[in-house]
Amino acid sequence: MNELDPVIHAQARLRIMSTLAALSDGSSMTFPRLQNLLDMTAGNLSTHLRKLEDAGYVSVRKSHNERTPVTDVTLSTVGRRAFEDYMTALRALLGEK
Amino acid sequence: MGDDRLDRDVMATDDAPMSAAQMLELSRAQQQRVADFFETPTLIIVATWGVAWFVGFLALWLGRPASVLPIPGDIAGTAFAVLMIVGVVTSVVVGSRTGAGVKGRERFEGAVYGISWGAACTAVPVLGGALQRAGMTTDVAALFYPAAYCIVIGTLYLVGAALWQDRSMIVVGAWILLVGVVAPYFGAPASYLVMSLAGGGAFLVYAALLLGARSRVKRSRVVRPS
Repeated sequence: MNELDPVIHAQARLRIMSTLAALSDGSSMTFPRLQNLLDMTAGNLSTHLRKLEDAGYVSVRKSHNERTPVTDVTLSTVGRRAFEDYMTALRALLGEK
Repeated sequence: MGDDRLDRDVMATDDAPMSAAQMLELSRAQQQRVADFFETPTLIIVATWGVAWFVGFLALWLGRPASVLPIPGDIAGTAFAVLMIVGVVTSVVVGSRTGAGVKGRERFEGAVYGISWGAACTAVPVLGGALQRAGMTTDVAALFYPAAYCIVIGTLYLVGAALWQDRSMIVVGAWILLVGVVAPYFGAPASYLVMSLAGGGAFLVYAALLLGARSRVKRSRVVRPS
């Protein structure tokens, strides 16, 4: 149980998960806002989001606001649980409660 | 095949592994950044009203003929009105932009809260105007306005405390309500001075505390987000 989830255990993906987990359940963040809060390039963010999406941790929804494409990213229930488990495992490794 | 290539690409973009302690700090720093993103608008609104009240009520107090540093009454009145308008516009603009790029509870709460400041602070002079038309004297108006502003803003602070489970906002809200109901007993123009120092001063102290708390968090960071 102490093994760290490899999907989350990478700097960029941990930061993405931490950002989304800071929102309340079911809230979503647009791709540009996420990029801005993470200081990541669009390409880099997309790559890591795909990995998280493949694991079922985030859902990426594309829609249109009038003619502008909008991408909303939401942490899934599975993702929130995985993030909590990861943080618990990390704290356990450090001897924190 | 395609998946393999994707995995390799993802791994290639992974940064060098960090220790557990560094990863924990990285996560905390990132969550603090998100918290700052939501709190900055509140800080701007509070600081703006601090300056508007402090300077505005001080101007009204000095605008009386017998004051220590007399300034023409109409200039003082205009300065006060302009500052209140700046406060309202800032609250509405900044409040409605709170959490832009986020959909969900935080966005709704922040926008409703910020716009409430603007709406409540607009309601006071509109009501005051009606009362003055109905015969409220300048002396009574001098007691009404500060008290009415305190009641709505003190209440808004208490609502904010409930929204964000922020105990410091309970203290500020209760203090502003208290200043609002006590200041009129000093009579005009002393009530203006009480409002400027105790009311505007309280906002500025609160804004400074928020700013101080934030910079302490920043300084304590071990790992900076890259």
